[in-house]
Amino acid sequence: MEAVSDAVIVERVLRGNAEAFGSLVERYRDRYARYALHMLGNREDAEEALQDAFTRAYRSLARCDDPERFGAWLFRILVNRCRTLGARRGRRAKTFVFDETALLSASEDHPAEQGAWREEIDRALQRLRPEQREAFLLKYVEELGYDEMSRLTGVGVSALKMRVMRACDRLRELLSEVHSA
Amino acid sequence: MNALKRALAGVLAAAATARAQDVRLAQRLDKPTYVAVNAIVDSARVAKLPTAPLVDKALEGAAKGSDGQKIVLAVHQLSVRMTSARRVLGTSSSPDEIKAAATALDAGVSERDLERVKSAGGKRPVTMPLAVLTDLVGRQVPIATATTLVVQLSRSGVKDPDLALFQRNVRADIDRGADPTVAATTRARGLVARGSTSKTKPAQ
Amino acid sequence: MRDDDNVKIRDVARALREPVRVDASFNERVMRVVRELPKHSHLSFWRRWAMPRTITVRPLAASLAAASLVLFALVGLWHVSDDLDRAAKPIAKAIFPPKVAPEQHVQFVLVAPDAKKVAVVGDFNGWDPSHLGYQAQHRGGGVWAVTASVPIGHHRYSFVVDDSLWVADPTAPRVVDNDFGTTNSAIVVEEQR
Repeated sequence: MEAVSDAVIVERVLRGNAEAFGSLVERYRDRYARYALHMLGNREDAEEALQDAFTRAYRSLARCDDPERFGAWLFRILVNRCRTLGARRGRRAKTFVFDETALLSASEDHPAEQGAWREEIDRALQRLRPEQREAFLLKYVEELGYDEMSRLTGVGVSALKMRVMRACDRLRELLSEVHSA
Repeated sequence: MNALKRALAGVLAAAATARAQDVRLAQRLDKPTYVAVNAIVDSARVAKLPTAPLVDKALEGAAKGSDGQKIVLAVHQLSVRMTSARRVLGTSSSPDEIKAAATALDAGVSERDLERVKSAGGKRPVTMPLAVLTDLVGRQVPIATATTLVVQLSRSGVKDPDLALFQRNVRADIDRGADPTVAATTRARGLVARGSTSKTKPAQ
Repeated sequence: MRDDDNVKIRDVARALREPVRVDASFNERVMRVVRELPKHSHLSFWRRWAMPRTITVRPLAASLAAASLVLFALVGLWHVSDDLDRAAKPIAKAIFPPKVAPEQHVQFVLVAPDAKKVAVVGDFNGWDPSHLGYQAQHRGGGVWAVTASVPIGHHRYSFVVDDSLWVADPTAPRVVDNDFGTTNSAIVVEEQR
């Protein structure tokens, strides 16, 4: 069975069927949770930002000019929410666990190398400046083009390229430190 | 506030309420079903029947995912039952009594049985006796027996809270394995013998 | 073993691209908030269509466009009339406050150990499982309860479990539903003296 398009679901919601919005939540939840989690560094903040983004999207749904690209429009809202939440909360101490079950299922004698490596990446990511982290995630994890990143963030392409480059340099530096320790 | 303002306000309020119901129907029904249901509701309004139960029936059908034809049929049949109910209970019967009577008719209670319950209650509202009657029938007490029991209870002056307690006790007995007719007859006998009291007693 | 001197960015990115699992209750938390917000109406949909847009009309399509404009106007009138009727209500209330049927607080209880969500629906809330104020809370041990306002009078109602299963109240008088194939419950709410 073909999936119903975003535009069809948006229309249903605008006609008063609030419950239909649940399909959009289901559709985009996991995809965008990843970005929020890496951007904010902990699950609670990420879920708050994501929930906030969905709520705002619902409230202003009538202003979504291109319902076929609801996902991109929602993502823009999420990027902004992450910026606001990140600025408000400041840097968090490390209590980051990417996937508790992955760690729990690791052998007792040898902590999973994968899990440890992931933790290092996550710590290094959180040590980036927020705007560099944002640019890095959008470019390398969300795999957006610079034009699209510029539309999303309101930042010029040259500035974005600079941020991505600095983020990469800093990550290499931080992760090399770990391995030489 | 003069009479003209009140009349105007009353008309506006009634129109607003009616239209508010229509808005819910319009939101939840497809167009053909909405048109058909609205026609039945309008006819009921003209006949001075309560229209809220008809709207509720349509909303119930929509909530349960029924197709449009079933919804229209259900609303139409309810309208017919309410017409019968009002004919039996009289034009001064309340919307709740008409609703309860229409529900009883749907459960298989006859118009003749409705008349008996109405007569037994005198001037008291028959909403609760009819709700209890419908419940007994739903729990497999034969209609004739259930009607007779409810008539006897009403004639004995048993009040609504005691009727509600009677229903709960019968249900509890059936849940424990008692035969529905035996349970209902036994509990009714006890209540009639005790006479109606204003205090409710816990189920044994 | 990792290359200490050459941490590849693409390895980092690949690791970060791994899927993230969100707790299953997240959707419900979002929808709870959404349900509290005003629903979008026909009019907001109408407003979108009414926003000025650049339209290129080809000569051959002109007659079709005209016909659809007429249909459009009729649909628009329907929506606008809803809006006017919604405006009428506050005017009526201001002149002559309508009598509201008195209500009582009624507790509804259902034991459903496997349920994730329980709502009360009935003719007092338009049979709407998403209606605020009729969402049961889990009290523990599979006991779901909600105390809700119900107008005085005779009502039919049911529980809806997990948005899909209709369950009659085992503690209430039964009403067999011959119309839609489920059993409802009846309640007669009386004025407290």
